[in-house]
Amino acid sequence: MIDFSSFLVLDGGMGTLLQEKGLSLGGVPEVWNLEKPDIITEIHRNYVKAGSDVVYTNTFGCNRLKMARTGHSVQELIQSAVQNARNSGAKYVALDIGPIGQMLEPTGTLSFEEAYDIFREQIEAGNDTDLIVFETMSDLLEVRAGVLAGKEHGNGKPIFVTMSFEENGRTFTGCEIPAMALTLEGLGVDAIGVNCSLGPEELVPIVKMLCEWTTLPVIVKPNAGLPDPVTNTYNFTAEKFGECIKPFVEMGAVIFGGCCGTTPEHIQKLTETLSRLSPVERNPVIPSAVCTANHTVIINQPRIIGERINPTGKKRFKQALKEHDTDYIMNQAIQQIDAGADILDVNVGLPEIDEVEMMQSAVKAIQGITDTPLQLDTTDPIALEAGLRIYNGKPIVNSVNGEEKSLATVLPLVKKYGASVVGLTLDENGIPKTADGRFAIAQKILNRALALGIRKEDVYIDCLTLTASAEQEGVMETLRAVTRVKQELGLHTVLGVSNISFGLPNRELVTRNFLTMALYAGLDLPIINPNTESMVSSVRTYKLLANIDKNAVDFIAHYGNDTAPALKPPPSAQSTMSLESAVTAGLKAEASAITKQLLETIDPMEIVNTQLIPALDKAGSDFEKGKIFLPQLISSASAAQGAFEAIKTYLSEHSTETVNRGTIVLATVKGDIHDIGKNIVKVLLENYGYQVIDLGKDVPLESVAEATEKYHAPLVGLSALMTTTLPSMEGTIKLLNERCPWCQTVVGGAVLTADYAEKIGADFYANDAKETVDIAKKVFGN
Amino acid sequence: MNIAHVERKQAFRYMCLPSEPDAHFLEMADKCEKMLLSAVKPNYVYRVFPIESTEQGISGGGLLLRGNDIKEHLKECSQVVFLCATLSAGADRAIRQSSAFDILSGMMTDAMANALIEQVCDKAEQEIFATFPDNYFTWRFSAGYGDFPLDTQADFLKVLNAEKRLGVTLSENDLLIPTKTVTAVIGVSETPIPKGKKGCAICNLSEKCPYRAKGVHCHD
Repeated sequence: MIDFSSFLVLDGGMGTLLQEKGLSLGGVPEVWNLEKPDIITEIHRNYVKAGSDVVYTNTFGCNRLKMARTGHSVQELIQSAVQNARNSGAKYVALDIGPIGQMLEPTGTLSFEEAYDIFREQIEAGNDTDLIVFETMSDLLEVRAGVLAGKEHGNGKPIFVTMSFEENGRTFTGCEIPAMALTLEGLGVDAIGVNCSLGPEELVPIVKMLCEWTTLPVIVKPNAGLPDPVTNTYNFTAEKFGECIKPFVEMGAVIFGGCCGTTPEHIQKLTETLSRLSPVERNPVIPSAVCTANHTVIINQPRIIGERINPTGKKRFKQALKEHDTDYIMNQAIQQIDAGADILDVNVGLPEIDEVEMMQSAVKAIQGITDTPLQLDTTDPIALEAGLRIYNGKPIVNSVNGEEKSLATVLPLVKKYGASVVGLTLDENGIPKTADGRFAIAQKILNRALALGIRKEDVYIDCLTLTASAEQEGVMETLRAVTRVKQELGLHTVLGVSNISFGLPNRELVTRNFLTMALYAGLDLPIINPNTESMVSSVRTYKLLANIDKNAVDFIAHYGNDTAPALKPPPSAQSTMSLESAVTAGLKAEASAITKQLLETIDPMEIVNTQLIPALDKAGSDFEKGKIFLPQLISSASAAQGAFEAIKTYLSEHSTETVNRGTIVLATVKGDIHDIGKNIVKVLLENYGYQVIDLGKDVPLESVAEATEKYHAPLVGLSALMTTTLPSMEGTIKLLNERCPWCQTVVGGAVLTADYAEKIGADFYANDAKETVDIAKKVFGN
Repeated sequence: MNIAHVERKQAFRYMCLPSEPDAHFLEMADKCEKMLLSAVKPNYVYRVFPIESTEQGISGGGLLLRGNDIKEHLKECSQVVFLCATLSAGADRAIRQSSAFDILSGMMTDAMANALIEQVCDKAEQEIFATFPDNYFTWRFSAGYGDFPLDTQADFLKVLNAEKRLGVTLSENDLLIPTKTVTAVIGVSETPIPKGKKGCAICNLSEKCPYRAKGVHCHD
C-alpha cells in the first residue's frame, strides 16, 4: 500500500525529453516503448535518481483510437511500457492514462460505454502496475468512465486522478473544482489533484480551493511555467520550480511532480525542497452538496427540487414517454430551471415502457442542455444504477426507505456511485403515525448508511407529507418529525410538498402555506412545482425573513420592479388576435393561449386543417417569394409549435386520437454532428402534423434502417453538413434500398446539390426546410 | 481572453436577417448573446515555423502541407503560422440549450458563435501581427479549402499540442470538436504580398452560395 503520511514524489515531463532525443513533433511517443526501450528506461531511471517514488509509464495516449495507425496493439505497447518502467527500479510504477482524444456525447460522438471499454482495455493491459493514474483530464464524464473501469477491472489498485484547470478554475469542458472533488471522492478515488495547463504560480488559487473541497490526498503536478508561443520553451528554471511548490505544501498537498517542460533536474530540486519540509495536516469540512460537472449546489439553505419530470397524473407526460419524446422532457427541465428550480427530480417510470433505457436517455438528454443537478427518482434498482452510471457529477437518489430490502439494495448503489440519498421514513409496517416513529426510522436509515461509509452529510430525510384532507391530524406530526431529524440527527430534510392539498379546494393556498410552515420547521429541500410562481416566491420570501438572503439581494433582484408578481395575467388569455396572426408574427405564447381558447369550441383537427396549416402555408409561400427569410419562417414555425403543443395536450387528455399525417424518419448521418438544419426541418414537419422519428446526429446506418423498418416509414430524411460525411449518407441510402425498399429518401445539407443527391441515389433533394415539407406532401399525398 | 460583444451584424448576416431586424429578433439576440458569452471560454494557440522544401512538397514544423492551393498560398512566404482557435465546448452546449428552448434561438446562438469565432481568430491575428511588426501576412487558409486535405487536421493539432492546450479534438471523420473551432495556416513574408482574395473557386460551397448568387462575397 502507498503511504500518504509522508510526501510522495512523482516524475516530470516525458514528451519534451523524447523530442530532444529525436521524436518528431507529430510522432507517437508510445511506439518508442517497443522501438527504443532503452531511451524510455533511461528517462525513467533519471527520474528515479532525481527522487521520484513513482514513475508514470510512457502510455499517455496509448488507447485503441490513438494507436490505430501505429500498427501495434494497445496490449503490446502497454506491456512493453510497463517493463521499461519496471527496469528503472522505481518504487512504484503507475499506469498512465490520458484523455481518449475524442469527445464524449453530446458535444462529441463517443458514447460513455465506448469510453469505458477503451479504458478497460488499457487497464487490463497494464495489470502489472502498482497504481492507475488518469491525468490531464478535462471532461468529468470521461473521468467517471475511466474510474469505473479502474474500479471494476483494476484488481483493487489505487487510482489517482489529476485534471487540468485554466485560470478561471474550470477545465476546457467547464468542469469546476468542487464538482471534481465531490464526484471523485464519492467514487472512491485514492488521490486527486491538478496537472498541466498552468505553471505553479497560476495554480495556487486552484489547489487552495481543491484542498478545501476534499479530504483525499492532493496531487500537484504543474508545468514548468508557461510556454512561449514562438519558441515553445517553458520559463521556469529547475531552481525556481523547486522553490515554488512551498505554498502547496502549506495548503496541505502531499503528492508532487512536474508536467510539460519539467526534467529530472526540476524533480531533483523539488525533492530537495520537500526534504526540508513536513506534510501539513488538513481538516477540511465538506458541506452537503450535489453537482453536475459544471455546477455545484450546496445545501446550506432551502433549495428547490422541481417535481415536474414525473408522469404521475399527467397524460401528456405519459404520452411523451411512450413516444420516447426526450424533447418534451428537456422542455420540462428548462421551464423549471427558468422558474427557479435548483435541482430537478427525474421520474420516468411507466409500466409499458423500458424504464432502464428511458432513465439513461432522460439523464443524457437533460445533462446535454443544463447544468442543474438531478435527483434520480425510481423504485427500480436496475433503472437507478443505469442512471447513476452515466450521470455526470453527484446526484441525489430518490429513494431508500426503512425496509430491509430497500436498505440492502439501494444503499450499496449510493455508496458505489458516490451519490446523496433521500431516506423515506417508512418501513415494512408502513408510515408511522407519530413523529417519534418516523424519527426512529430516520435514525435507522442513517446508521445503515454510515455503516457502509456514506457520509452523514449525504443523507437527506423525507418525513413524508400526508394529505390534510384525509389525515388532518398527521400534518403537524410530519413537521415535528422534520424538526427532530434536523436538530437531533443533524441531517438535511426533504419533503414532497404538493401532496398536502390533495382533495381540497384552492390547493395552491394550502400548499403554499404548508410550504412556509415546513421551511420554518426545518425543511431544506422542498419538492415543488416551480412553475407555480407562488411556490417559488414563498421560498424566496422565507429566505428573506429567515435572514438567509442577506440584505434581500435575491428578493429585490426578482421582485424589485414588480408590485404584484402573483397578479400577472397569463399571456394573452383574453386575446382577440387570430391564430393566423399569432403564427405570422411568431408569437409562441399567444399562439398557445389562442389555441387553448379555440379548443373549447372547435374540433382539434379542424383547428390544424383550417387555421394552423393555412397560416404556415402562407409563411412558406412568403418565404419562397423572398418576402420573408428563414428566421421569420422559423419564427412562425416556433409559434405553430406552441399551438401544436396545446392540441397534443388536449388530445392526450380527451381522446386516444393523435395528429399524424404520416411518419417520417429523420437523421443527421453517421460522423456528422451538425444538426441545426435537421432540427429546423423537424419543427416544420411536425407543424404540418407529420410524426417525426428523430434519430438525432451521428446516426449509424443500421439505426436508420432499423427505425424505418420499425415504423414502416414511407419517407426518410437525411442531412449532412460536411463533405467528409457524404459517404455515410450514400451508405445509408444504399442500406435503406436493400432493407426498406418501400421508403423514399430526401436529403439536404450545406454541401449537397441536386446533382449530388441524384448521384448517391436519393429520391429527392431539398434545398431548405420548406421544400422538405412540399416533398412530404407529395409523398404522403396530403 | 475576454470578448465583450458579439459582432451582431455579422451574425444577422449569416442568418439572412437585415442588419437592423425587428424588435422580436433583437430581444432574442440580447438573450442569446448573453448566454453564449457566459458559456464560452475563447482561446487560441499558434506556433511559427520556417517553411521547408522537401521532396514531397513544402512543410512546416515537420508537417507536410499537401496540395497545390496551399503551396500557391504560401509561395511568397518564408515562415508559416499554424493557428488553432476555439470557443470551447461551452459554445456547443449553449447552442444545444437554446435549441431545446426554441429552434430559432438555437439558430441565432449558432450564428452568433460563428461570428464570435471569427472575432477570436482576428484577435489572434492581431497578436501575431504585433509579434512580427516588419513582416507581411497572407489570409487564413484552412484544411479542407481547395485541395489542402482535411485529413491534415490530425497532425496539425498534434504539432500545436492543441488537445492539451485548448481541449480541441478530432472526430473519426476529421471534424473539429468543439465544433466552433478553426484551424488556419497564415503565411509570413518579408516582402509585401499581393492582396489575394479568398477565392470562390476553391470553396466547396461555391455552387450554391447565397452570397455568390447575389454577386457578393461571404467575407465582404
